[in-house]
Amino acid sequence: MAILEIEGRKFDVDGDGFLSDPYIWDDDVASLIAKSDGIDSMNEKHWSIVNIIRKHWEEKGMAPMVRTICQESGIRLREIYELFPLGPARGACRVAGLPKPDGCV
Amino acid sequence: MEKLTDEKIQKGLEVLRREVGSKLLTHVNSCVHCGLCAESCVYYNVEPNEHFVPAKKVDIVSSVYRRYYSTTGKFIPWLTGARKLDDATIEEMVDLLYGSCTMCGRCNKHCSVGVDIEYLVRTGRAMLAEMGYVPETLQKTVDAAINTGNNMGISTEDFVDTLKWLEEELQFEVEDDNAIIPLDEKGKDIMYTLNPREPKFFPLSISAMAKVFYAAGESWTLSTKMYDVTNYAYFSGNLEEGQLIAQRMVDEMKSLKANRCILAECGHGTRSFRWEAPNYLEQGFSFEVETSVELLAEYIREGRIKVDPEKNQEIVTLHDPCNLTRSGGILEEQRYILSKCVKNFVEMTPKGTDNLCCGGGGGQLSMSEYNERRMRISGLKADQIRKTEASVVATPCHNCVDQLIQTNAAYKLNVKIKTLAEIVADAIVLDNENEENIS
Ligand code: SF4
Ligand code: SF4
Repeated sequence: MAILEIEGRKFDVDGDGFLSDPYIWDDDVASLIAKSDGIDSMNEKHWSIVNIIRKHWEEKGMAPMVRTICQESGIRLREIYELFPLGPARGACRVAGLPKPDGCV
Repeated sequence: MEKLTDEKIQKGLEVLRREVGSKLLTHVNSCVHCGLCAESCVYYNVEPNEHFVPAKKVDIVSSVYRRYYSTTGKFIPWLTGARKLDDATIEEMVDLLYGSCTMCGRCNKHCSVGVDIEYLVRTGRAMLAEMGYVPETLQKTVDAAINTGNNMGISTEDFVDTLKWLEEELQFEVEDDNAIIPLDEKGKDIMYTLNPREPKFFPLSISAMAKVFYAAGESWTLSTKMYDVTNYAYFSGNLEEGQLIAQRMVDEMKSLKANRCILAECGHGTRSFRWEAPNYLEQGFSFEVETSVELLAEYIREGRIKVDPEKNQEIVTLHDPCNLTRSGGILEEQRYILSKCVKNFVEMTPKGTDNLCCGGGGGQLSMSEYNERRMRISGLKADQIRKTEASVVATPCHNCVDQLIQTNAAYKLNVKIKTLAEIVADAIVLDNENEENIS
């Protein structure tokens, strides 16, 4: 457990900076986490990706495949990596307030 | 930390008992405390604190061994520095063996008397695993593999949908509807494997390899049942779980009746299956096991695929994964591939079997508990990369790729991280391409 402080707000996070309590998440929290990753302001595409991930996690309990993100958002794969330089897991899923996925990510 | 019981202690000691009389005896009794290993370790380098001297790991395992398995250690513990397996010892073991080691094996290479330090780390981890002290996050990754067949818990349906999607993209790219990604086909020459992070989040390397197979006219398949090349039980130290995962791969090779098992770019996956599995399964393979790195080199060498270095103009450097290169001896193949596929290749220093770990090995990537240390040691790799002035870092290991993606962001390197398959796929010249492209 660690504390992540962004612009004066403090969050309980795991060692990798993923929210310890995914349910405190809202749009403001998402924007702040994105900022801590160097995404100063989230554009429409960022939001679209984050909302798809969040919805999927709320319904199925896990992060969606990147295929689902591409197909539902209409954003091409390579662009997803440009929008979230840390990738869909450590980048987008963290902004979406999910717990860290298992495996080599 | 969970309470230590007599039963747990016995389980831990049983691991040492299994090893008694073997290699263990030599390695617990050889350290001459010269301290030479200190400088070789990434942890010690970023924080020159005695806690991070590799010999400290040798010492803790050896002192427990002496306490229970040497006469002097049993009766006059202080004389030999013998240590009881108690809560304090366990706590220190967990921090030293899981929390301060990427199992990179660089210290082994630098030890003045040849102590297999990494083997002692693994033995210590095996003890802790038997006693139930595997860090939670690491165990979760092993559990996912055991319970779902892959370490990210991907359902078969999601897996198949992703591969069908990639197949369509491939057909579009090569402009040929016969370009396919075969699933569960029996009697093919090759059964290819993947790191689950590829289908889940980073599928460009699957597309790349599928394009290479297409260009080579290979007879290959993927299994939808057992495609996971990783074995995190190798990191946690749990022998039975490691066996179970490796056995599944052997069984799937047999059920699909393939001749060659090609391991995706994954350092520990290669090590745990190709080199360790015959030991822990106590049987040799009845099929060939090779890495995709060797296969890619073979395709180029034998002219089965045509590549053009002009297609990769950026400056590329190479990170050698510890398990593949230092431990596995795969050293020349990746250099041969790059010499044929990129225009500007520069080595980093040190390199090859002396390369520094990226920081993500030994299961560190999955252990959030030690994240801060992991990102601190990655600063060494960041410096190495920066000095090459490269804009692309190639590495044949998905574990390293992930660590390098984070290093890239954390240290603002502004580079791209690629697998070898991606670099080869970018350099491929397909038969239907304009001959003018080949210079
Ligand atoms: S294996 Fe690598 S990380 Fe572990 S002690 Fe040796 S040099 Fe350090
Ligand atoms: S280099 Fe080898 S002998 Fe010297 S302190 Fe390290 S482990 Fe012991």
